[in-house]
Amino acid sequence: MKYAKIYFDDVTVGAALPPLVKGPVQQIQLTRYAGASGDFNPIHQDEEFARAAGMGGVFAHGMLSMGFVAQAVTDWAGAGAVRKLGVRFAGLVRLKDTVTCRGRVLAKSSKDDVHTVELEVWAENQKGEKVVTGRATVALPARA
Amino acid sequence: MAIRINRGVVGKEFPPYAVTVERGKIKEFARALGDPNPFYLDDRVGAASEWGDVIAPPTFATTFRDEAGAAALLTELGTDISRLLHGEQEFELFRPLQPGQTYLCRAKVVDIYEKTGKSGPMAFVVRETAITDRANELVATMRQVTVVRL
Repeated sequence: MKYAKIYFDDVTVGAALPPLVKGPVQQIQLTRYAGASGDFNPIHQDEEFARAAGMGGVFAHGMLSMGFVAQAVTDWAGAGAVRKLGVRFAGLVRLKDTVTCRGRVLAKSSKDDVHTVELEVWAENQKGEKVVTGRATVALPARA
Repeated sequence: MAIRINRGVVGKEFPPYAVTVERGKIKEFARALGDPNPFYLDDRVGAASEWGDVIAPPTFATTFRDEAGAAALLTELGTDISRLLHGEQEFELFRPLQPGQTYLCRAKVVDIYEKTGKSGPMAFVVRETAITDRANELVATMRQVTVVRL
């Protein structure tokens, strides 16, 4: 069930998050994301501009892919659970690319009644190339 | 001929700027990501939640933009927008951002370093932003690494 509540007690180190498949990425989503985020860099909108910049054409905002990764984490851990999310943009996401977001539990710890889980997170395109790599920390409720 | 990056901007602090989060902006952002989570989109779910209202997705603080500061930084660095790539991004969230709240953002250039990658020489500009609420409590921090293709 989507958005089912997950408890700290039930998380095992090494467990995989359910993969989240996003896309294929279309120009309209980049335009919509530009409006929503305020990032109107023409490199994500204007094919000629992107080619002239030496990028070989339009590519997606890194922050769109990071938002996808964040969704994979919150679909699993719950909205509001993310304490930290840090990523490196390892590759460009192009139009028509499919982005699959994945994660894995690295560690869990409890301190002062705050129960946190460390995750490795990443996103890959349809060729299996990593486009985002990173780490996340989420706080989860413990069973009473 | 590679462009020289102006390392003199390390330590530069931008003028603080305030942002009031609009309910519609949170929903627009979640929808643009294609994230249907009801804790972002449904006011009734938000009202019944532990936060008492909808919350923003984890990366929402990226919308807290300082256009004037960013433009001034590009000029001071001696580059332009067509040379930029987003290298890294990190958010630390002490609690979720919420509609109707006014936050103060204080951004600073903390480091600039150069590396040569497979596509040539690049400079990495590291900015950190502290986001506080009206009570001056830290709500979130952002760390952004912008890559300048030299």
